[in-house]
Amino acid sequence: MKEGFRQAMAWLHTWAGLIFGWLLFAIFLTGTLAYFKDEISHWMQPEIPARSVPTETSLTLAQQYLEQRAANASRWIIDLPGAREPALSVRWQSAPAKPGERGQFTEKRLDPLSGAEVQGRDTQGGEFFYRFHFQLQMPYPWGRWLSTIAAMVMFVALISGIITHKKIFKDFFTFRPRKGQRSWLDGHNAVGVLVLPFHLMITYSSLVIFMTMVMPASILAAYKGDVQAFFSDVFPAANTAKVAGTPEPLLPLAPLLEKAREHWAGGSAGQVTVNNPGDTNASVVLTHNGTDRVVHEFGRAVTFSGVTGQLLAKTPEQSVPMAVAGSFYGLHMGRFADPVLRWLYFICGLASTAMIGTGLVIWLGKRQLKHAKSGVLPFELKLVEVLNIASMSGLVIAVAAFFWANRVLPVDMAERAQWEINSFFIAWGLSLLHAAWRRGRGAWVEQLALAALLFASVPLLNAVTTLHHLGNSLATGDWAMAGFDLACLGSGLFLGWAAWKMQRAGQPEITGRNRQRSIPLEQEAH
Amino acid sequence: MLLAGLLCYGGFTGLCLSMDRHHAELLGRKASIAERRWFKWAGWLLLGMSLWAAVSVAGWAFGLVQWCAVLMLSALLLVMLMPYRRRMALSLAALSLLASPIAAYAVL
Amino acid sequence: MTAKHSTLPVSYRLAVLSRVLAAVLGGYVLTALASVCLTLWVPMARADAAVTGMTGSFLVYLLAVLWCFGCRTAWRAWLGLIAPSLVLAAAAGLMYWGGRA
Repeated sequence: MKEGFRQAMAWLHTWAGLIFGWLLFAIFLTGTLAYFKDEISHWMQPEIPARSVPTETSLTLAQQYLEQRAANASRWIIDLPGAREPALSVRWQSAPAKPGERGQFTEKRLDPLSGAEVQGRDTQGGEFFYRFHFQLQMPYPWGRWLSTIAAMVMFVALISGIITHKKIFKDFFTFRPRKGQRSWLDGHNAVGVLVLPFHLMITYSSLVIFMTMVMPASILAAYKGDVQAFFSDVFPAANTAKVAGTPEPLLPLAPLLEKAREHWAGGSAGQVTVNNPGDTNASVVLTHNGTDRVVHEFGRAVTFSGVTGQLLAKTPEQSVPMAVAGSFYGLHMGRFADPVLRWLYFICGLASTAMIGTGLVIWLGKRQLKHAKSGVLPFELKLVEVLNIASMSGLVIAVAAFFWANRVLPVDMAERAQWEINSFFIAWGLSLLHAAWRRGRGAWVEQLALAALLFASVPLLNAVTTLHHLGNSLATGDWAMAGFDLACLGSGLFLGWAAWKMQRAGQPEITGRNRQRSIPLEQEAH
Repeated sequence: MLLAGLLCYGGFTGLCLSMDRHHAELLGRKASIAERRWFKWAGWLLLGMSLWAAVSVAGWAFGLVQWCAVLMLSALLLVMLMPYRRRMALSLAALSLLASPIAAYAVL
Repeated sequence: MTAKHSTLPVSYRLAVLSRVLAAVLGGYVLTALASVCLTLWVPMARADAAVTGMTGSFLVYLLAVLWCFGCRTAWRAWLGLIAPSLVLAAAAGLMYWGGRA
């Protein structure tokens, strides 16, 4: 019966992996890119300089700006610059037209040195990849639901994969290249097993992140339907006094930063929210910037009176269940990661993506062999082949197209941020059409070659369209800018190598022997 | 993180060499029972030391995260190197073990 | 896996569909009930209890899915979900209406 169970798990792993594999590949690739979203945004808005300025200065400048431009707002939100996010951005919410409604939000980016508005080219930058990987460009809340469902399927696929992999310890170090299907399976197992802690963490944590949306039953039961009360309990700093109507000057905000730091054992504020500025009931909420801790503390903040500076509230110590949830959240986001660790996160993410990709290739490869003699694939397999090509090499082309659009589209073009995103999807769509028309190995080679060309020429594109080319960025120590160019170049070289290998594998004299070797998954489970 | 990484890589190479199949692959001959046991113990010991190194330098939270990261990626590096650059895989292990006391002195 | 698609019997396909429905829908109901049960029974403040229930729920969902595809027949898949669901529903109901409000 154990064999029957293993076989059933193999079946589950194979089918769950196929049906959701294409979507999961996209989620993992864009999610992996999102670990460098700030650096990507910096490359995509080269006009905005990265300046490091003391936080107090930035806050004072922000306050001056807001007192001039948004004196009558009901709320100010100031996002302070950090190590990776050098921009100072301010938002303000005007009083709602009708009570109970949400007021309008306005957002501006400021130069942290001068306090003046900065206008970089209109772009979503790295945020696009971040948002895409959990919203999938679908209207709220459908994208999140779909990505969370995909995460659950990923979890099932991981565990069923572990159960199916009989010789998981014996084959721990096994990787036999140049043996056709056997090598693909070895590769799939290698990136699967060796990076397993990461895969499990990233998958389960993504479920925890959206748990209040997908599994609200607990909240409804514990709070007898009052969901708002739950969120008030978790984010107590959000409960603030209503506007009193009597004007009182707002005290200088900068000294509050140090006062907040005293309450937290280390760490600093990432965001400052002023409720009812200029009113008697003004309150200043300083939210802790979580980059100094692994465990994320939801809503950790201190609240001061905006008039007297007196401490009004301080979020309590985190309870164990909150710390557990916070650990999942913190580990997934990786906000605490320094550059070295961030690169390790990125490599692990690429490993997850490769695990999914190799799985898709193996699924088709095994079945293709059965039709090798007739040379004609049934419709279902043709469909899988086209989807494999479009979802993998097509997606990579789309990413390159997004970066190319950023440099090629005119800076003052209307809706250019949207058009950069459109370029991404147009390129992806065209790659799907190309895959459907061209079919087979030829489509792979051509798409990989195109992706290689697009990526490898990004540094050149950068040099031609801006002043921030590699010579410049390396000289001034702008590592984010230089790193991006170099990473694109490296990716281009890797994709070129992949295209070359793909083409060679198609030449029968070389692979005649390898074609015959295939190890069915079920046999493997024995 | 460097010290933990060096020890991890060395540890995994040890564990790898404790397996007949890979011992033959890397060193050209089968391992005796004593050799296998020795490599296994050495491998696990090095992995344990790498955990201790990571946590002593960076505390439990950061240390565990860093340790997991270097654990996974050093294993991946070894497995990717072995079929293509057998000698490099081995010399890297030897170098790691030689360099680790120096790295240890630098951080601890 | 070796049979061509055209020769798979309808009964097989219906069985697979049944298991999928059991796993997706039945599994969700079982998971929600388990989550609620844990939340109501664990001796913590409400926010912490709710978070505990939700955080652990996905492990239950995993087990439900593995059961639905690992058990011998599609009927067993449903039975294996319905039986524990009834127990969990009873336990949760006991706490919700009977125990501490």
